[in-house]
Amino acid sequence: MDLRLPSKVLEHIFSFVDSNEDRNSVSLVCKSWFETERLTRKRVFVRNCYAVTPAAVARRFPEMRSLTLKGKPHFADYNLVPDGWGGYAWPWIEAMAEKSPALEELRLKRMVVTDECLEKIAASFKEFKALVLTSCEGFSTDGLAAIAVACRNLRELELRECIVEDLGGDWLSYFPETLTSLVSLDFSCLDSEVKLSDLELLVSRSPNLKSLKLNRDVSLDALGSLLRLAPQLVELGTGSFSDKLDQEAVSKLSQAFTELKELKSLSGLWDVLPEYIPLLYSVCPGLTSLNLSYATVQMPDLVELLSRCSNLQKLWVMDLIEDKGLEAVASSCKELRELRVFPSGADVDETNVALTEQGLVSVSEACPNLESVLYFCAQFTNEALVTIARNRPNLKCVRLCVMEPFAPDHKTQQPLDEGFKAIVEGCKGLQRLSVSGLLTDKAFEYIGTHGKKLRMLSIAFAGDSDLMLHHLLSGCESLNKLEIRDCPFGDTALLENAAKLETMRSLWMSSCGVSFGACKLLSQKMPKLNVEVIDEHPLKTRPDSSPVEKIYIYRTLAGPRLDMPEFVWTIHKNPEIGVSNLAIE
Amino acid sequence: MEGSSRNGEISPKLLHLIPQGRRNWFHHEKASVYNTEEKNLELKLGPPGEDEDEDGSSMIRRIKKEPKDKSILSLAGNHHFSPSITTNKPTSQKRNAPGPVVGWPPVRSFRKNLANGSSSKLGNESTSNGVVIKNQKCDDDNGREKPVEPKRQGGLFVKINMYGVPIGRKVDLSAHDSYEQLSLTVDKLFRGLLAAQRESLSFGEEVKPITGLLSGNGEYTLTYEDNEGDKMLVGDVPWHMFVSSVKRLRVIKTSEIFSALTYANGKQENMGS
Repeated sequence: MDLRLPSKVLEHIFSFVDSNEDRNSVSLVCKSWFETERLTRKRVFVRNCYAVTPAAVARRFPEMRSLTLKGKPHFADYNLVPDGWGGYAWPWIEAMAEKSPALEELRLKRMVVTDECLEKIAASFKEFKALVLTSCEGFSTDGLAAIAVACRNLRELELRECIVEDLGGDWLSYFPETLTSLVSLDFSCLDSEVKLSDLELLVSRSPNLKSLKLNRDVSLDALGSLLRLAPQLVELGTGSFSDKLDQEAVSKLSQAFTELKELKSLSGLWDVLPEYIPLLYSVCPGLTSLNLSYATVQMPDLVELLSRCSNLQKLWVMDLIEDKGLEAVASSCKELRELRVFPSGADVDETNVALTEQGLVSVSEACPNLESVLYFCAQFTNEALVTIARNRPNLKCVRLCVMEPFAPDHKTQQPLDEGFKAIVEGCKGLQRLSVSGLLTDKAFEYIGTHGKKLRMLSIAFAGDSDLMLHHLLSGCESLNKLEIRDCPFGDTALLENAAKLETMRSLWMSSCGVSFGACKLLSQKMPKLNVEVIDEHPLKTRPDSSPVEKIYIYRTLAGPRLDMPEFVWTIHKNPEIGVSNLAIE
Repeated sequence: MEGSSRNGEISPKLLHLIPQGRRNWFHHEKASVYNTEEKNLELKLGPPGEDEDEDGSSMIRRIKKEPKDKSILSLAGNHHFSPSITTNKPTSQKRNAPGPVVGWPPVRSFRKNLANGSSSKLGNESTSNGVVIKNQKCDDDNGREKPVEPKRQGGLFVKINMYGVPIGRKVDLSAHDSYEQLSLTVDKLFRGLLAAQRESLSFGEEVKPITGLLSGNGEYTLTYEDNEGDKMLVGDVPWHMFVSSVKRLRVIKTSEIFSALTYANGKQENMGS
């Protein structure tokens, strides 16, 4: 008797399985589940664009409608990955244009996207609906114009923190009059001015527009007229908030804000003048997300604003908020889930000293739902970390950046080992951790012992020896991404734990002591890993003992990539051939 | 393709491929692979101000040292990390040059310099600092005049560092109109911080004010760097000329005036270098 469920039934059941992780699990059960799952998966996530080939993805998921890709390693955000390293979107777009022309959504992060890519998208995908580019680069506003003019059903166009060659604001005028489907538009990272009349026309014919994020160039006056055209907005990113307005304009703007009954998220607020902060009071009670990380507002004004945001769940702010401001947040924003405090100064020596560990302690005490923290601070103490862990065992993400490398506990002068021990021990569900300050190998022994759910770990200027890496690789069972810079270890732990690397997405190490010989060994013995050596100052001869500048190791089914620049080297799997810059010779 | 099994049965122990001599770390709890004779891989990670040591244990020494006698805070001064990498390759950009470390602090570039109040978007041309100095009255809704005070946006903030204090501050020059006023502000900003660095101060002892910044008589002297990179004593030129050319301020020890102003690089007070 055939006990297998008919595929139609399976399909129906799988249609309720949404999350990617669940779908991945489903596909591992048996062949027929694998088949049915792959034929019904609509949203595909490829978290390392070099882990698999575009053709393989297109082949496996013929019904794919939405593709999410990530390219460069995370440390590229901090300029540690040289330009030209890779992460090109073109091969993917080209492949999908041919094999998955029904594609509707493309979400790319840290990838190189050219105007040709955008033109190809515009020309190839008739039903294209959503383009979301995060931290991407390589394109100009001309490419945007191509998308605007051709994608008749466009719903989302979002450029989040991209580096765009800005040739002017004309691109916006290319949206045809027939386009009325826009739901989300984010051009906050663009430099130049768009024509207000084009923007007004676009907004007024987009009744479904829920999210609008303007660039800095859009004036306060313009904001007023746009808000009047789109009172249904749920997410708003303002432009510059600093023009001088006359009485009448101010009260009109104030009125426009009070009409935003649905607003949940507010960002932008560049250069916001303190006297305009009260304009925002009317929307505060409804806000769940507030990004003040571009607003150079001082603490007293911040407190005035935040004390009205009783439903706030996500707050991004600069260290101008100071401890006092965070105390106010603690008492007003009981629903807070995510807090990010960014440094206002450009250098370590400009850190605002009125923001200390106490600020974070206050918030951890008072906000029961706090799960995710990113905190830049001049210095910290073990006591504070212990308190935070005790207050908030439900923390899932802790990214602490003590601004000065090697800074010890500023009260006891001890390393911060015990503090981070408390964090990993107390916060049993911790998934992401960034450590900083003075740390010995002990800290990593603790992390290896307790950080069982840890998936991503970032380390800089820490540890004493290879033991540090060994603890992490042998202890952290769920470890998926590990990124390390400027730590004093060499090859041994890496080679001892080589098998672990195939269970992880990627490992980044820069300015450590890994030798070229170890890289060769690793690459030759671990066929499913790409071991890439990034070396901008190569030696004429490369002895095995020479340390490499940076290595990026990731698991892959696609083999060594073919698009490496001259400063990236991969070790050929065949030891006869040795080091190569091209994968195939 | 040979595969390594997921369950680790044939997981390659590559350790055996490493020459015997370098495997010792695993058996010695505290030994650092760092301390081997492999000078080629030796890294120096001493904090600023460390004396060069020839073995790799500067890191460990640093932890054990009770820095009461030499507070890390007193390491502000001349120093930058100096690597003792004996191979020809620097493994960390920061070690070879004074100045900011690449990628540290880990903040995306567009977030930097937001608090300076200077931006080409604001159309600033009025000073060579590129920052508009605004000083305006503003009527509030009821027609009452608000008190006159310089607005924060467009305020002329310059960095100021002081010898012996690791954390710099910012001064809004547009909120001052004379050197005396500036001198008072410097005292206010740093008096407490400086006292905190000094081990000799016992609790309750009165904190000394910082005086004589402009006269050359005090323990400290106020200097500045102008828009051409020249370092000069504060107080020589008319106030408005000073404000339009100053790029940053430094409070140095009066005894160091000669060296501070003469050498092109000056003292590196950057803890982060």
